[in-house]
Amino acid sequence: MCPGADRPRPGASQPAGDTSTPGDEQALKVLVVDDHPIWRDGVARDLEAAGFVVCGTAGDGAQAIRLAPATRPDVVLLDLQLPDMTGVEVARRLATLDPPPRVLVLSASGERQDVLDAMTAGATGYLLKSARMEELVEAVRRVAVGDAVFTAGLAGLVLGEYRRLATAPDDDTPRLTDRETEVLRLVAKGLTYPQIAERLVLSVRTVQNHVQNTLTKLQLHNKAQLVRYALERGLDNE
Amino acid sequence: MAEQLWRAVAAYRVLTLGYAAFLVATNLGHYRRPELAVALLAAMAAWTAITIACTVQVPAGRTSGPLLVGDVAIAVGLVLATLAVEPAGRISAGAPTLPAAWAASAVLAAAVAGGPVAGAGAGIAVAAADVGERGTLSQHTFNGIVLLLLAGLVGGYVVRLGQRAEAAIAAAARRDAARAERERLARDIHDSVLQVLALVSRRGAALGGEAAELAALAAEQEANLRTLVASPAPAVDAAGELDLRALVEPFASATVTVACPADAVPLPEPAARDLAAAVGEALANVARHAGPSARAWVLVEDEADAVTVSVRDDGVGTTPDRLAEAGRSGRLGVAQSILGRVQQLGGDVTVTTAPGHGTEVELRVPRR
Repeated sequence: MCPGADRPRPGASQPAGDTSTPGDEQALKVLVVDDHPIWRDGVARDLEAAGFVVCGTAGDGAQAIRLAPATRPDVVLLDLQLPDMTGVEVARRLATLDPPPRVLVLSASGERQDVLDAMTAGATGYLLKSARMEELVEAVRRVAVGDAVFTAGLAGLVLGEYRRLATAPDDDTPRLTDRETEVLRLVAKGLTYPQIAERLVLSVRTVQNHVQNTLTKLQLHNKAQLVRYALERGLDNE
Repeated sequence: MAEQLWRAVAAYRVLTLGYAAFLVATNLGHYRRPELAVALLAAMAAWTAITIACTVQVPAGRTSGPLLVGDVAIAVGLVLATLAVEPAGRISAGAPTLPAAWAASAVLAAAVAGGPVAGAGAGIAVAAADVGERGTLSQHTFNGIVLLLLAGLVGGYVVRLGQRAEAAIAAAARRDAARAERERLARDIHDSVLQVLALVSRRGAALGGEAAELAALAAEQEANLRTLVASPAPAVDAAGELDLRALVEPFASATVTVACPADAVPLPEPAARDLAAAVGEALANVARHAGPSARAWVLVEDEADAVTVSVRDDGVGTTPDRLAEAGRSGRLGVAQSILGRVQQLGGDVTVTTAPGHGTEVELRVPRR
């Protein structure tokens, strides 16, 4: 259905705008980045069967960074373990594109620090590779519209990160509100957003917003840190 | 280590043999039986060569008991032989013994081979010979005896210390090698088996029927394997603390999700083990009482002054009344032991439950 789903030839960019079949210009474009051919092709097939357009697949970070601006995917499905660079670095570089694609991190094992780093670098969703097909499809849809997609494991990591930051606070240290902490803890304990909404007497949208905020604050903090670091380095070099 | 020590002892033997030869050469005119002195000096030289050959050449310095006993006996014999070489007047005037400092080499050898006890024993034997040779215990002799005993004791102690350090280094090297191997295996497993299992479980579930059952099996194995390769091996650090995550993460399975911070959650080892055991019991409770399709989530939180672990399930739950009643009638034996473990750590346990809403057990242990 989509020629872009074929593995790209090295060096070849794959324009994606004309690959979608007529009539479904609404279809979301997904770039699949994973160094395991079996996995990559399997996921690409599944995504196409679910109605997405796989505008490209990449087996390493360099290829992903080359393909992303050319194919302009809505969502990049990113494995964290790549042969040439870390998925964290890929997420960082994808965040500098204009417009930046949404990044959904998919990892096979819980590389905790990498997951956290990729999320603070700009990824907005995280799923384990063992997630069911429906979960993956749903996650791609939600990431595409800008929602943060959390697993219980990611919520635990984010909670831990705020606590770590709080041990050496300064004026810029991001903090969670009591409500955000409450929501994040419930996510980490495996409750679904509707369950959390029911328990806290909130709307599901509000729950989603709280979760979103916890991630956005970390990402802004990370960006500010990078800018400060760059400035300091820049001044040193003069 | 042993090899270097034997080399040091050998160097000591050679140097002190030289000193003894110098003494014999300068005092030759004063001796009662100069030819005996030269013969004994030659014997010392020969024995020096033999002991060096037997200790330095032998791999890892494995020395035999008879050699060491003979070493001490020869040192004692040479000290006593001074009586036959030197005139009585010179001995009482404080002339050095024939082997002089060379006699201490037997003490050093005993210390290296047998530790402080053997070293001190050899020191006493040679010291006794010294006293016997002099006939009295002068200040000079006494100093010599103290030095001999010290050489035996301290030398032996240092050797033991060194051996222990060496063993510790070797053990650390083995641990490093094991960890490197573990990491390599983890990478390999991650790169191959996990990918395939994940794919099988995902696609199988979509196919349904028998394939779905196979998929469930694959998912379970994938979860187990993922935990196995992702968890750090539980290791106690220098402060006697253990990363709680290393003990709790292995509970993860197809039905149990474990959420942890990215940084270590250190607790004193006994506290970490007790808390992890309490978590294990809470999960066992879930398996027993929450219903066959119940899933569980474990959340580890590090709050600087306390560590909190919550175990939540989405099972059948119960009413707080029935929970309290079960506690009174002793039916919650496991829950009691969870409570006992955590209270012993100065912590507390909160249980929240409602019919149809699962059960949540929160274990909170303060850091002391």
